[in-house]
Amino acid sequence: MQHVHEIFDTVRSVMKGMRITFKYLGKRPVTQQYPQERWALPDRYRGFVHNDVPRCTACLLCAKVCPVDCIYIVTEGKGKDRLMTRFAIDYNKCIWCSLCTEPCPTNCITMSHDYDHALYFREKLVYEFVDEPVVPYREPKKGKAAEGEEA
Amino acid sequence: MDWLLAHFSTLPLLGGLPYSAQAGLAMGVYGAVVLVIVALAVMVFSLAERKVAGFMQSRYGPMYVGGWHGILQPLADGIKFLLKEDIAPAAADKLLWRAAPIAVFTGAFMGYAVIPWGPSFVGAKLDMGLFYAFATSSLVVMGIIMAGWGSNNKWSLYGAMRGAAQVISYEIPLGLAVLPVIMGAGTLNMGSIVQRQAGFLWNWNVFNPLFAISFVLYFVSAMAEVNRIPFDLPESESELVAGYHTEYTGMKFAFMMLGEYADMFLVATIATAVFLGGWWTGIPRVDHFVPAPVIFTVKAVALVFIMMWLRWTLPRLRVDQLMHLCWKIFIPIALGNLLLYGLIRSVI
Repeated sequence: MQHVHEIFDTVRSVMKGMRITFKYLGKRPVTQQYPQERWALPDRYRGFVHNDVPRCTACLLCAKVCPVDCIYIVTEGKGKDRLMTRFAIDYNKCIWCSLCTEPCPTNCITMSHDYDHALYFREKLVYEFVDEPVVPYREPKKGKAAEGEEA
Repeated sequence: MDWLLAHFSTLPLLGGLPYSAQAGLAMGVYGAVVLVIVALAVMVFSLAERKVAGFMQSRYGPMYVGGWHGILQPLADGIKFLLKEDIAPAAADKLLWRAAPIAVFTGAFMGYAVIPWGPSFVGAKLDMGLFYAFATSSLVVMGIIMAGWGSNNKWSLYGAMRGAAQVISYEIPLGLAVLPVIMGAGTLNMGSIVQRQAGFLWNWNVFNPLFAISFVLYFVSAMAEVNRIPFDLPESESELVAGYHTEYTGMKFAFMMLGEYADMFLVATIATAVFLGGWWTGIPRVDHFVPAPVIFTVKAVALVFIMMWLRWTLPRLRVDQLMHLCWKIFIPIALGNLLLYGLIRSVI
């Protein structure tokens, strides 16, 4: 009798399992087709740190505040001849703390929404933002802005 | 095949040939057509399997090849199989190892000779058709043992031994399950068995209560026979890597897979012919409008879908559970069913 009972029990449980899988067959997949479809990221999402070079004043505040010293800034000359020759961020070291964005006077260093930077070599994770020496951005002085533009 | 032969005799060039040559030619043409159909069916199944698996697990399955929902994935798989390096184990028994994929596929393919796709679309109207189909489909196990022994690999050998034990055990309930139907039909000719199920839906064998039990027994035993999950012990990937085809690569592996899927389709077609009314739609008026092979194929494909459905529902059985199911449950039920049907037949 036990034997017969077990047979019926098995048949019932198989039916139950098949009902569940069939229910899922009709449902929409939850998969996201990743490279084409992406999550909508929150505004304050901390992706890779990005520096908008044309607005950078090379004030070194971000490099100083960085707790792991992963921002390298090199400048040459003084005063009007001052040039920024290197602005690099070493993402091997970066801890995505967002502290560098706080003191920036022009808000040029920001946390971007990029997160998929897979690379084959560790060295490639040092991102260079300046290819050729550039003149750092200077805040136009009040009242002289129009004149400056003419010059 | 008869209409093919009849057509040949009317052609100007072929009509002059002796009958044996015409018959040989007709056989060759029919074989080629069925081979192409089976190969195409296997391609469709290999994609369908992955799609069904995907949707049952709330994902998509292959999505990229072919532009629209991975429609050309089987083709890409085929090209990949062709391009793979053909590696042979150094200590393999070369002859057995090479012959095994051929044996697996041939065993599966031979059964298609007697499958009645339609009233006149039959390879051979054998009077021993069903017996022949069972006999040839059990040749697959020879291929499995050859592969397992020839690979000279412990996993392969384990898989082959399990396969042999499983397939030979499940042959018995498989045969016993269809015996009542054969008793009822009074013939082993598959075309005649289908012809007896003409008319309305309730004339199908599966709607006879005793034959319904036979159908379930047959279907589950057939799944064990073709090594499908939940009975895929010969190739259980979590224990035996890939079982008897662990050492196979490239086209040899493709042939193993082809044989497996062809075998799966074969048992589905046999079930269709024996239990599900073959090419009959179940409504006599509709039978004239729909081509017989189409109805037959639809039913067989539906059974294959149920096999896939079960695959993605149930976990694999243990070896002892497998043997328990066969010897202590299926065989007694099949024998009891046979006895009961015999008694009913002799009384009525």
